[in-house]
Amino acid sequence: MSVTELKERHIAATETVNNLRERLKQRRLSLLDTDISGYAKSQGRTPVTFGPTDILCCRTLQGHTGKVYSLDWTSEKNRIVSASQDGRLIVWNALTSQKTHAIKLPCAWVMTCAFSPTGQSVACGGLDSVCSIFNLNSPTDRDGNLNVSRMLSGHKGYVSSCQYVPGEDTHLITGSGDQTCVLWDITTGLRTSVFGGEFQSGHTADVLSISINGTNSKMFVSGSCDSTARLWDTRVASRAVRTFHGHEGDVNSVKFFPDGNRFGTGSDDGTCRLFDIRTGHQLQVYYQPRRDTEMAHVVTSIAFSISGRLLFAGYTNGDCYVWDTLLAKVVLNLGSLQNSHEGRISCLGLSADGSALCTGSWDTNLKIWAFGGIRKVI
Amino acid sequence: MSPAPEYSFAVEYDGPPISYDLPRALPITVDNIPVASVVSQVPLSDTLSLPVVQPLLPPHHHTVKELKTLSSESRVSKELELASERTVSPTSVIAFDHRASQINVCELSGELSSSGPFDLSNGNDGSGECEFSDVCDSSRLLEESSSSELRGGVCRSTRSFNTMEFNALGVSNDDEKESFDFNELNLNQQDWCSTESVLSLEYPSTRVSSLKAEDCDGRRVPAVSFNVDYDDDDDGDLNEEFDVEETVTRPVRREPLTKGKKGSCYRCFKGNRFTDKEVCLVCDAKYCSNCVLRAMGSMPEGRKCVTCIGFPIEESKRGNLGKCSRMLKRLLNQLEVRQIMKAERFCEANQLPPDYISVNGKPLSYEELITLQNCTNPPKKLKPGNYWYDKVSGFWGKEGQKPSSIISPHLNVGGPIQPDASNGNTQVFVNGREITKVELRMLQLAGVQCAGNPHFWVNEDGSYQEEGQKNTRGYIWGKAGTKLVCAFLSLPVPSKSSNSIGEQHSNMASRSIPDYLEHGIVQKLLLVGCSGSGTSTIFKQAKILYKSIPFSEDEHENIILTIQSNVYTYLGILLEGRERFEDEILADLKKSQSCVLDTTGTSPKPDDKTIYSIGPRLKAFSDWLLKTMASGKLDAIFPAATREYAPLIEELWNDAAIKATYERRSELEMLPSVASYFLERAVKILRTDYEPSDLDILYAEGVTSSNGLACVEFSFPQAASEETMDTTDQHDSLASRYQLIRVHARGLGENCKWLEMFEDVEMVIFCVSLSDYDQFSVDGNKMILSMKFFETIVTHPTFEHMEFLLILNKFDLFEEKIEQVPLTKCDWFSDFHPITSRNRTNSNSNSINNNPSLGHLASHYIAVKFKRLYSSLTGRKLYVSVVKGLEPGSVDASLKYAKEILKWNEEKPNFNSSEYSMYSTEASSFSH
Repeated sequence: MSVTELKERHIAATETVNNLRERLKQRRLSLLDTDISGYAKSQGRTPVTFGPTDILCCRTLQGHTGKVYSLDWTSEKNRIVSASQDGRLIVWNALTSQKTHAIKLPCAWVMTCAFSPTGQSVACGGLDSVCSIFNLNSPTDRDGNLNVSRMLSGHKGYVSSCQYVPGEDTHLITGSGDQTCVLWDITTGLRTSVFGGEFQSGHTADVLSISINGTNSKMFVSGSCDSTARLWDTRVASRAVRTFHGHEGDVNSVKFFPDGNRFGTGSDDGTCRLFDIRTGHQLQVYYQPRRDTEMAHVVTSIAFSISGRLLFAGYTNGDCYVWDTLLAKVVLNLGSLQNSHEGRISCLGLSADGSALCTGSWDTNLKIWAFGGIRKVI
Repeated sequence: MSPAPEYSFAVEYDGPPISYDLPRALPITVDNIPVASVVSQVPLSDTLSLPVVQPLLPPHHHTVKELKTLSSESRVSKELELASERTVSPTSVIAFDHRASQINVCELSGELSSSGPFDLSNGNDGSGECEFSDVCDSSRLLEESSSSELRGGVCRSTRSFNTMEFNALGVSNDDEKESFDFNELNLNQQDWCSTESVLSLEYPSTRVSSLKAEDCDGRRVPAVSFNVDYDDDDDGDLNEEFDVEETVTRPVRREPLTKGKKGSCYRCFKGNRFTDKEVCLVCDAKYCSNCVLRAMGSMPEGRKCVTCIGFPIEESKRGNLGKCSRMLKRLLNQLEVRQIMKAERFCEANQLPPDYISVNGKPLSYEELITLQNCTNPPKKLKPGNYWYDKVSGFWGKEGQKPSSIISPHLNVGGPIQPDASNGNTQVFVNGREITKVELRMLQLAGVQCAGNPHFWVNEDGSYQEEGQKNTRGYIWGKAGTKLVCAFLSLPVPSKSSNSIGEQHSNMASRSIPDYLEHGIVQKLLLVGCSGSGTSTIFKQAKILYKSIPFSEDEHENIILTIQSNVYTYLGILLEGRERFEDEILADLKKSQSCVLDTTGTSPKPDDKTIYSIGPRLKAFSDWLLKTMASGKLDAIFPAATREYAPLIEELWNDAAIKATYERRSELEMLPSVASYFLERAVKILRTDYEPSDLDILYAEGVTSSNGLACVEFSFPQAASEETMDTTDQHDSLASRYQLIRVHARGLGENCKWLEMFEDVEMVIFCVSLSDYDQFSVDGNKMILSMKFFETIVTHPTFEHMEFLLILNKFDLFEEKIEQVPLTKCDWFSDFHPITSRNRTNSNSNSINNNPSLGHLASHYIAVKFKRLYSSLTGRKLYVSVVKGLEPGSVDASLKYAKEILKWNEEKPNFNSSEYSMYSTEASSFSH
């Protein structure tokens, strides 16, 4: 079989796949009789209302000298770890807004960070293609720096995202620019399983974000530059459980819905979407139409409130919309509030108890937002 | 045919040399002038610049009288009354003229003379430095005599004064912010607030601390007491004075409100002078334990109000830096306190501004201050002021006073020492300084003959000799009693840690730059290029060129392993090829034999011995190697394999079959071009005691971490010629640090998410392999791919205003190749029709001006192609450098070129545009 013949067959096969995919999409659309907001409206639900002072910036965490790229909360206590372009990880006490650790990183180009479930260690990854683990309890060296306690190396591209498996301090999942996700065993420093890459159903471009299902830690979802999100089962590395199409741009952020049956995505196309992992359907698009022809602002990061009713989405222009997930309405823009960020919102995170939201921005600050009004029963 | 080609012929000849020479001409001219001014600006930019400050002062002084007339808003008027009230009291006048005398404003001198205690200062008017010390003395006197109440008055009046000024200027707009804060406080009754109040509840606000009570009033006089610290430094004084004024205003605006209760918190106005409070390092605002965390936020620069962040601290509080109060310790946990104190001590804004310190009459530069502070034996508790420093012996003291300490000698700080530095009158000189009486006394007690007013040379070890004489007369510290005497006369003794010079220098070299300096000093160069363009070679070359230890031990170890496993891989490919060739030959043989069989009908003796056959021992090795390679476990078995198989390799390499295969290596697609370099050295490399040479490392694949990013920090070694050219270059020895960042091409494509991270690089060095023009990958011609990649990088928004340097790499390979393969093989270069001289001689192919070789012509052509592409995309000029990656000199030259471009960019505004255009004669006249 000659090369040209192979190429032709390849093209033909690609076309077939695309046709099938298109038909699948059509079929899905025909089955999808309504979206959440349509149904909610028909049920007479009204959006959540917020007064201008209901959500307030109650802390500003200053201390980074570079753009903040990532943050993560501990599952207990109110601590935050943040990663910035100044080459530092800072562990904050969110209540006092003070730093407890400032870790100088060997590679300054850090893209992601994560707190371990017990809060004993933090992980970070970046352009050095290595995921580094720091034990917060280990003694510091002469200059007061913490040493890397474990290097997870094996990725062939930058580490774009990392998250500890809930309840396990020894397992971590990373997403990488080499199109794969990897489940690591931290004690040995070896890869337990690799998702994607050489396998057929993996991502075809850089993985940008991952999120582990909070209710079933065997499942995780990944978002990628190939504008898809994929659902994986950590026990079955060979293929993705499901691929979610729909976005028209890179999927920058994925986050599981609190109930674990849905997940949200944020993308370069300026939309957030909600997908159902059981049906594989797209449930809702969250998109604020622009007045004129200006480009939609890219969604950089998303987070759900503890009930799932609110979706926080950070945008490149410094906006941070609070969406009512039920009615697909923007109920508040944190970017327009007093004391808001001056740069792009690069990361978002909700504290474990859901009482506070932390945003990280390119203006080098992190801000903590909390409900300031009188709570009404919705 | 005759005239036209001749004309174009001439043009062809002219074009390339110009574009090539030009870069060299440019940096040399730039070098002389620019560097000096750059350096002088560095320290200025770091402190709050003086020039901006001064214009504000005169109106401020005029307001003495305006104050009364300036009744305005309801809130301010209250302050005003207060202020005007105070102006009547004599002390407030003092506050004013105190400042006035510093700036030598004469308007107020009348008033000055009327106030009694200030006669002194008036009398000294115009006598320079002395005046200030006198002023301070008198003010000290005043302070002592006047009651604390009065002092409070002084302070308050000046403060309200400042508030006025800043209101008028509209500088302070934190009014809204404050009110917002309060809102927040009141509204936020959520857990956030409550948790905090729980925190604070533990500490009753009525806690009495006698220490603090004392402070309550005493601390009120920062503006005045501050000057006491400044004996003599005119410049610093002014500057500092202003800083204090500027920042003092903000919290003080609330002063009228707190008036009722002195010593209450600046934020909640509760508490009294006995309440435990934390003080802002900048503006002296005091907060109670309830408010301190809100007012100071996350304290990125230590204990400063949120609004004071970024401002230099008050000098009188420098001693408190990093000293934690009990309150903070109670409020926060130990880790948090440690971080705050660390930030406080090491953040950039809190560092001592270098021009506040002058040594031997010369204000220090940034670098000098660093040298001073980081020497093995630095002066302790360095405060702003004028100092003298004896570089030979290391004596250090305040100007006009006896030595206070002995620091590391031979530091290159400040000017030469003045004979009257310590204001001595003994006529005995030590290292050119007239010593004080106390010192003379000590010398006499130490048994030094001081008759006849001798001039001594004293070295750092205490050995002394008379000026102009060779022999050492003795050692000052030789006698046991000397140090005792010194202690008695409160003279310094050398510290035990004083080291020899050599040791010190090695310390200097290994010393890492403090964190707060790193920022902004390292210039970052981003090195990108398609895979195979030689970025890693250039990176390695830079490491070898500029680092004293290019590779750490670990790296070295890794390099050896990488090279060796590479060689095994190459061998494996070779062996695989051998098998293939053998099979082919056998198949051929069989065919011919079967032909023979058909014709003759006799069964031939099976003879499978071909030229590619190997013995059983080697065969076993070959099978093993191929098997491990196929399973991908080559790395895992590695180090052991070297020991076991090293002898076999030699045998294998000398085997005829391998030799024959090696001859046909061009048929093995898998074998990279560098393989032959290593295979020819295989025997040597695969020994256990193999030490890679620089060239080996340069050739080796995969030595720099191929997965991610690698960076190396270096500074260009000072060439001898450079040193003589301008001394200012020494100045930026610290400033001219470069960081070469090499990123892997993977993922650099269109949807590259992280290129934004490199927005702080100074320059992008884009690497293209010249020899790629006839290479093809799956996606097409490699040169075209490089070009497209170049386009995406250049047009990336992050690099919109960035300078680009194009490195045309592998010129050596290209030169060879161009003779065989026409450049037009690449579609982009289809219009390359070089016109070469008919009587071309190969001997002088290097002299581009006379008779450019085809290689030079083609490289210039490619350079122009890229330049045009670049200017069509950005409208700017692309810098190009042709490089042979394997030659250190070549890479060195191009990196130096990068440095010159950066320097030139800094200096460009200083030249007018016409001059600039003169330099930018591009080779755009290149025609074809």
